[in-house]
Amino acid sequence: MNARSGRHTPKTAADSPRRPNRRRPRSASGPAAVRGVLPLFAATLFAGTVFAGTVFAESLASGSPAAAAPAVSWRQREQARIDVLRRIAPTAVCVMPPDGQGGGSGVLVSADGFTVTNYHVVSGSGPFLKCGLNDGIVYDAVLVGTDPTGDLALIRLLGRTDFPAAVPGNSDAVQPGDEVLALGNPFLLAQDFSPTVTYGIVSGIHRYQYPAGTFLEYTDCIQIDAAINPGNSGGPLFDIQGRWIGINGRASFEQRGRVNVGAAYAISGRQVQLFLSHLKSGRVVDHGTAGFSLKTDASGRVLVAEVEESSEAARRSLRPGDEVEIFAGRALTSANDFKNILGIFPSGTRVSLVFVSAGRRVRTSIRLRPLHEFSAIAEPPRPPMSGLQILIPVEPPPQWVHLYEKREGFANYAFNRRHQQRLLEPLKSRLQKYDRRNATWTLTLEDAESRMTAELTVGQRGAGLTQESTPWFQNAADLQPDAEPPDFPGLLTAAIQWHRLFRGPEESWHDVVYIGTERQFETGQPVEILQTQHDAIRCRWLFPENNDSLPCAVDVDRGIGLDEARLLFEDWSVDSVIPVPGRIGVIMPETGTVRWLQVKAVELRP
Amino acid sequence: MMVPTRPASQDMPSAGWLRPAFVGWLLSSGMLCPVPAADTAAVTTDPGQAVVKLFGAGIGNLDSYGTGILISPEGHMITVWNHLIHTGYLTAVTADGRRYQPDVTGTSAEHDLAVLKLQADPVDTFPYIDRTTAVRPPPGTQVRAFSNMFHVATGNEPVSVIHGIIAADVRLQAGFGRWQFPLKSPVLILDAITNNSGAAGGLVTDTAGRPVGMIGRELRHRDSGAWVNYAVPFETLNPVIDAILSGRTIESTQQTEKATPVSDRRLTADWGLTLLPDVLRETPAWIDQVVPGSVADRAGLRRGDLVVLINDQVVRSSRELRHHLGGLRSGLPVTMMVRRDDVLIPITIRVP
Repeated sequence: MNARSGRHTPKTAADSPRRPNRRRPRSASGPAAVRGVLPLFAATLFAGTVFAGTVFAESLASGSPAAAAPAVSWRQREQARIDVLRRIAPTAVCVMPPDGQGGGSGVLVSADGFTVTNYHVVSGSGPFLKCGLNDGIVYDAVLVGTDPTGDLALIRLLGRTDFPAAVPGNSDAVQPGDEVLALGNPFLLAQDFSPTVTYGIVSGIHRYQYPAGTFLEYTDCIQIDAAINPGNSGGPLFDIQGRWIGINGRASFEQRGRVNVGAAYAISGRQVQLFLSHLKSGRVVDHGTAGFSLKTDASGRVLVAEVEESSEAARRSLRPGDEVEIFAGRALTSANDFKNILGIFPSGTRVSLVFVSAGRRVRTSIRLRPLHEFSAIAEPPRPPMSGLQILIPVEPPPQWVHLYEKREGFANYAFNRRHQQRLLEPLKSRLQKYDRRNATWTLTLEDAESRMTAELTVGQRGAGLTQESTPWFQNAADLQPDAEPPDFPGLLTAAIQWHRLFRGPEESWHDVVYIGTERQFETGQPVEILQTQHDAIRCRWLFPENNDSLPCAVDVDRGIGLDEARLLFEDWSVDSVIPVPGRIGVIMPETGTVRWLQVKAVELRP
Repeated sequence: MMVPTRPASQDMPSAGWLRPAFVGWLLSSGMLCPVPAADTAAVTTDPGQAVVKLFGAGIGNLDSYGTGILISPEGHMITVWNHLIHTGYLTAVTADGRRYQPDVTGTSAEHDLAVLKLQADPVDTFPYIDRTTAVRPPPGTQVRAFSNMFHVATGNEPVSVIHGIIAADVRLQAGFGRWQFPLKSPVLILDAITNNSGAAGGLVTDTAGRPVGMIGRELRHRDSGAWVNYAVPFETLNPVIDAILSGRTIESTQQTEKATPVSDRRLTADWGLTLLPDVLRETPAWIDQVVPGSVADRAGLRRGDLVVLINDQVVRSSRELRHHLGGLRSGLPVTMMVRRDDVLIPITIRVP
């Protein structure tokens, strides 16, 4: 096992990695240069050594409103901080391109090596990277997923299954004034990969930073005054208890040169968590657009400026001038809020929307559509670094080559393929024993409320519904929006896709992509999403987490300008001629309410 | 400048990592308690609520934004006396997102101070800081600095807060442009980067939220490029604010510096002008050359123009014009009246 390269040629050529137990005393009493660049780290260690076990009582400033708070001496607090740092330092990662020229920071988020960093740290470095941890060891790493708009990337460190992982905190609970610790690798100072720690406070929350360059945008981020310098990018921000609350990525430099000026920005832990499972899919993950824009009027009301004609919001009757109250579950106080909230969600997320139109309050939901055209988020070339550069041609590590697969639109298709197989293989093996699943199905349905019965027939050529002797038919080869029964809009289109899924995954689709994990909007259930495409029809199949191989819902995108066909499947029965759900829910696009149909019987016809 | 270390002695409790005190400050401001409503005229317990964002017009590489501190429930506000308050279209945005046009009540160039009043309805009230409770803590004390640095905050967002300690309490010897730093009494040097773009006029408090001083203008060392981070203590500002608010003139504590005439070299390099050679006892202020693309050129000055008035004062000679120009502050507008072909033409120039 030679995953731990041990000796890492570039950058650390002069220094073979030192062991942790030799490092600590050296930090405390090391050369002036080391102490100069790590003043806080060195100072805390020094104080910790000298004052350990000595606790001084301390009076608080008189008149302080917090006099009632438990009195904690600053030395106790310092010791607590040292303890926290010891705990979190192993989770900080020094991320380097394979040639070791330059680099940034990252944070381990799971024991199997998944590490979050900034997109701009890994961009242009190719699929394989080198990563140093504070154990002094250099690990190989493979690129997994990227989010160029939100400046996030996911990589996976290789060779261990017991990596120390950061414990996430709640970034929504962060307040201005909270103490924070930033870990990272500024100026690539530490040759043994022990992270530099900087201390500060939260300077502001829900900050919006305009796109720098083409599309990179920081939304809803945490502003801190801890020193963030080049090389800190991608490193973790922790609260003072050592809970991971963000990714340090950007700083205001402006006229002061590229050094810390006390204004830096961290991508919130909330946003990272929303993107994490999507990044694990190996995709280039896009952000979303709501299909409308907002403005704040003089009296502070948040009003609709423009609405795209073909947007879902427009179909829900959102018009310019309407007042928007809630977006994605958060109350809006300004148009800036809207940009902030929008920016933390991956494309494809369904979010709530409450607005007042013509005196009527509308509560609905919309799906965020992709922000970018596909080609716009292709990998840019790595910017040339200043100074002399020795280009070392780097071959991918032979034992890991199989972990990378190039494909357009993906950061690393190998990860997507694995997830697809994970979801589709159990489905395939379950369906194998139903050898007549290609036949035409006839389901007897009963409306859960009206007790009316209807008959749904689905086959390769299309789907039909007979409701009170009124027939409706949808042709699979020529889908027509107005061929859907008005009581159950989208049922026939979705049923055709369902039939296609059961016929056999491989041959039925033009394209299959694993998307990631989300919560189903209506039920709040955690689900895994597999996207299939046949001609222009795109389906999101939702599988329950810890899935039992059968989907719990499907959202069928019938094209721009049309509402999705959305079904819920519950209580699958595998004892009949084909697996059928006990009931099918049709989600009404106008209201989001679910109309349930009990499945009374199923029959197969040739 | 020495960078102080944190004092380790117990007798300076405020210098420690005073999280509890700061927690208390948060308790009074954050999610745990309701934020003081804007319509309750009270000394705010959350200093950030009394700090307003200023937006005006930038000039050249001078910023178009700044910071101010509300010092009365009626909307009196202080800030640094800089180019921003002269731009004519200044807007002040309070922490809760209300927007006002401020009027200049009075200024003191000597203290680098401007007192303004928000044009608010008489019923409007503002959270403010009570400057009579200001403290002047010793070096080593932890402080918080609230400012609109880099205009990170917009609309109803509170300004940025950063932490640091008072590093020194000293007289500052500095200059900006051709001007000496006017304040001759000591200022508080801070170890945090408080004096960022737009931060001038921000508020410095101790960790209990008591006012300490006002963040000063951006000053940079000409040779080393180092920036100085300082605040003017309220102890120094208070008598001046009182004087301005009561309509008294500010008594000078120093000899007004005699402006030195601008040199020919500067006149050409900075303004883009040359004047007729000063050969007579009172050579008329004829413009001999205008450098294409220069400040003078862009403002519309032309060869042969005769400068007759500058800021409504008669210019009798080229020597007088040089004295006037040498005494102007960088970034401020200056109005010249020039005679061209028997027509008087007013021309406004930003002092380079």
